[in-house]
Amino acid sequence: MTMNPGTETLGRLVEANRVHRSVYTDPAIFELEMERIWGQAWIYVGHDSQVPEPGDYITTELGLDPVIMVRGDDNKVRVLVNRCAHKGAKVAARCAGKADSFRCPYHGWTYRRDGGLRGLPAREGYANTGLEAGDPRFALPQLAQVDDIRGFVFATKSSSAPDLRTFLGEAALTLENIADRAPAGRVECAGGRLRYRHPSNWKMFVENLNDAMHPMIAHGSVGIAARKYLQAQPEGTEYPGEAEIIFPFGSSYEFFDKMGVTALPNGHGYMGGTMSIHTDYSDIPGYWDAMVDAYGEARTKKILSSNRHNTIFYPSFTAKDAVQAVRVVRPRAVDETVIETYHFRLVGAPEEMFERTILYSRLINSSSGMVGPDDLDCYNRMQQGLRSDASEWVDMRRYINDDNVADGKRTGMGTSDLTFRNQYAAWLEFMTGVSPA
Amino acid sequence: MSTPSPEAVERLLYDEADCLDRGDLDAWLELYTADATYWMPVDPGQTDPKRHISLFYDTRLLMEIRRNNFGHPFAASMEYPLRCSHIIGNIRIMEGSDAHTCTVASNFQAVVYYKTQTVYAGRYTHELVSDGGRWQIRHKRVDLINCDAEHGNLIIYL
Repeated sequence: MTMNPGTETLGRLVEANRVHRSVYTDPAIFELEMERIWGQAWIYVGHDSQVPEPGDYITTELGLDPVIMVRGDDNKVRVLVNRCAHKGAKVAARCAGKADSFRCPYHGWTYRRDGGLRGLPAREGYANTGLEAGDPRFALPQLAQVDDIRGFVFATKSSSAPDLRTFLGEAALTLENIADRAPAGRVECAGGRLRYRHPSNWKMFVENLNDAMHPMIAHGSVGIAARKYLQAQPEGTEYPGEAEIIFPFGSSYEFFDKMGVTALPNGHGYMGGTMSIHTDYSDIPGYWDAMVDAYGEARTKKILSSNRHNTIFYPSFTAKDAVQAVRVVRPRAVDETVIETYHFRLVGAPEEMFERTILYSRLINSSSGMVGPDDLDCYNRMQQGLRSDASEWVDMRRYINDDNVADGKRTGMGTSDLTFRNQYAAWLEFMTGVSPA
Repeated sequence: MSTPSPEAVERLLYDEADCLDRGDLDAWLELYTADATYWMPVDPGQTDPKRHISLFYDTRLLMEIRRNNFGHPFAASMEYPLRCSHIIGNIRIMEGSDAHTCTVASNFQAVVYYKTQTVYAGRYTHELVSDGGRWQIRHKRVDLINCDAEHGNLIIYL
């Protein structure tokens, strides 16, 4: 058994402008994170459109805990721990399905859709043993709190955590905006998913989502490759949709600085707001008209003017409002993380909108993309480089003297390290229970 | 002229695999038509490449960009030795083939050494076309037996 670092030790790992390398490399810290961050924060589970009918379920993980998200006979979406009350076997193995009940394949203990114990074989052996049907000790445990924002379901193991809207604060507006972008006011999870294995700590991925200093370097080659292709084409060749997705990754430092970054309580944050690398996407015929029919012109303009580059819902979830693709962080070990990508159809919008979501995701989020593999490789290089104790620190001081504080949130230049500093302020508070000064 | 001979089909598939084994995407692209697509679905039996995510779904445009990006010194992921070895077998010319179009099914195993050694296996479906002279690949579908697994970097076409 590893010794847990104490509060004082943990407090020394995060300084105003740098963090200690062990937050990425120490298995004991990873274990504590699972307990104190992933066990206390609201964690993204799935979208309720993945379980449209009673009995529909998906299986996933909440931190390292296997869970089932299932719609009950009362139409309520619950998150149950996927662990038989008897000996602990997972009762559901498929990634999705429909179940009248969950039957453990080992000894046959069977649970209702709400997790309650329905029955078990040869009950007489349990007479006068204290095991009664209806006893919550013999149910599939329910997560302490489950709630959703426009169908995006989050759960927390903590009964004392603040409610979901309080926890997410202004970050929730990104999810509102994704749903508002549908003429019908709702989205459906569709089009399959990607699961991308990263040999690196989960925080490296989360940090990178608002790291505006890396695209022009780490993703420099794909812009060059795309330009080389276009230059070889005859004059007048139509500018392909792929190019308008790839090129903005090579935008200048000035462009990203202008985009700006916003840091919110609890580690959340986003880049952009009114402009992002997705601002200049071409209009898809029929979409504007469908939106105006649904909302009127003024409201439509307001909805479509929101343009957040990546919103981070610390620690588990990131979303792009203008693209309708989300990525979910599934930590496995201190140096292993799986990133899942899900896609959302704007109900009532032309299908070409969804095709663009899929195209974006394939180019940028896929294991085969020309963007993700370079990010992954950089995380992996950090994971290896940080084994060295020649230097103990990871630097986060860029633009540290230039944060603006207003209305309870901090904003900075787009290429500021503000977002990292903000995540580690939350990290420290989760890990030690002490708010940073 | 009738359907291509089994020997001609075999030769084309072997040549293609050899281009990938040598990491020669210039020569590999020469085997494909200008309107070619390369598809690696993420789900078994997937029917839609546009409204369902895929591991790869490259048009000729993306094949050329990927070729230009392949091995680029600015790309962190390209800074490692990459060696592949493909084995193709059970090659079958499917019904409905004629003098101009031909569908070929085959099984493959590809061992890829990229940081670590990984075995990929599955089924190829090649759609070939002929303008009366040589046969080219208009569409290639790669169904991995573990398409829906968690994947690390897929750094080269299979």
